Amino acid sequence: MEAAYFRHASGELVSTLCRRFGLQHLEAVEDAVQAALLAAVETWPRQGEPDDQMAWLYRVSHRALLDELRTGHRRRRILSEQWPESVPDTLDPRLAGELRDDLLRMLFVCCDPELPVASQLAIALKTLCGFGVREIALRLFVAETAVYKRLSRARTQLRARASKGFDAIADLDARRPQVLRVIHQLFTEGHLSLRAPALRRDLCDEAIRLAHLLADHPAGAHPDTFALLALMHLHSARLDARMSASGELLLLEEQDRRRWDASQMQIGLAFLARSAEGDSFSRYHAEAGIAAEHGLAPSFEETRWDRIIACYDQLERVAPSPLHRLHRAVAVAAVEGPEAGLAALEGDVPPTWLEGSYLWAAVLADLHRRCGHPRRARERHEAALRLAPSPAVRDLLARRFERADPDEDEALVR
Amino acid sequence: MPKFLCVQRSLPASDERSAPSPSEMQAMYAKFNAWREEFSDQLVDLGGKLGDGRLVTEEPVTDGPFVEIKELVGGYMIVEAADLDGAIEVARGCPGLVSARSGVEVIEIQTPGG
Repeated sequence: MEAAYFRHASGELVSTLCRRFGLQHLEAVEDAVQAALLAAVETWPRQGEPDDQMAWLYRVSHRALLDELRTGHRRRRILSEQWPESVPDTLDPRLAGELRDDLLRMLFVCCDPELPVASQLAIALKTLCGFGVREIALRLFVAETAVYKRLSRARTQLRARASKGFDAIADLDARRPQVLRVIHQLFTEGHLSLRAPALRRDLCDEAIRLAHLLADHPAGAHPDTFALLALMHLHSARLDARMSASGELLLLEEQDRRRWDASQMQIGLAFLARSAEGDSFSRYHAEAGIAAEHGLAPSFEETRWDRIIACYDQLERVAPSPLHRLHRAVAVAAVEGPEAGLAALEGDVPPTWLEGSYLWAAVLADLHRRCGHPRRARERHEAALRLAPSPAVRDLLARRFERADPDEDEALVR
Repeated sequence: MPKFLCVQRSLPASDERSAPSPSEMQAMYAKFNAWREEFSDQLVDLGGKLGDGRLVTEEPVTDGPFVEIKELVGGYMIVEAADLDGAIEVARGCPGLVSARSGVEVIEIQTPGG
């Protein structure tokens, strides 16, 4: 049995039952699926695993749902006049004609632009990926109460949607960017989170799984989807190498490039090529371009920084952000020297969230040091250490400043 | 070899939102299978869950003092072991059987001359 079998089965069952019974019953559906999985745990060891496990789980959860909807006290009011069989499919968001795949359809439903992204993420992790509340809280580094709040907000919104109905045909193209954004965010949570390495891989894998689901369907097979897949596979290739055997974070130039996953790299590059077919250029294209340059560089010294700068310029055009400009400045410093790096940031007033982050302070500390401004470098250095989000990052920064070796700044932020 | 009846007794489930997640259930499933494998020679009958029941006596039937019995008895199984301690070892190893809210009664099944 695949390691995530129960989680993924849960996602598929919830999606399918929601299509059949309507999103307004999402909670009852989740309870029924939970009951079916529990029944499997209790029955399968005694009677042996059924030949078709999904069919077994579907039958049991379907029956549990019918029982619950017929007799459930909580929902008696809603259903006093209609049996579930008589609930027409048209009450559901009508994606069925366009998206035969229920899971994909549910993904589009979860990525509701009227919800805060945090809620979209939470409901996707719950319904599509089958994570429990505690597991979501652990992976997103928020309190369980916050997860409950986000889920409850999402459920309310989805119920409202269900009662209004929403036109899949008209909404599909409009919603794809939002779906990509949520998948990207999911991946970023996993990839950039420096706090719980064992858990991040889960989020990255789930993001890749959902993106493949999207790419495999005519409705989602779009250059932007391919670019996002390229980006995620390319980063994924380097994920394990970012950590030493003893669990320390490694700088880019410290990483053993032989530990990069060549097959992931190849898949990423193939998607990058596919993403170039067509005239779309998204932020994912630019970010995948940067990841590809790092992935293709035979060594840190041989990185083609000029191409990376060009990608950052493109990224800045499609998705302007001071964070991207900060990264760009690091690449500029690698090519033209630290003064040019500092000059690239001149006049850029970072928003509070970025100025208060260790990243901003760490990059400036480095640039100032290399420009021969020891006092300013020290100030920034101390700020970076103070703002480090975890001991692992603090260790990395301390090591970074001790080494004080020029021309390595990109390593800090990759 | 003597056989033992194991009866699970648990406190009524609390209403807290502590339902296991799919991953946790899969882990339970894996543990249960591992346990079953380890003691396969001794597991005579894995039994099952017990549902509603009623005590039948000469007296008119009421739910009477045994009303709580359906909440307390969760399931049963039959194991084989050299002695009570051996049977307890098998039962104790069963995942989820012995916990803060659940315990197991291990009773020897006496057979004449056995």
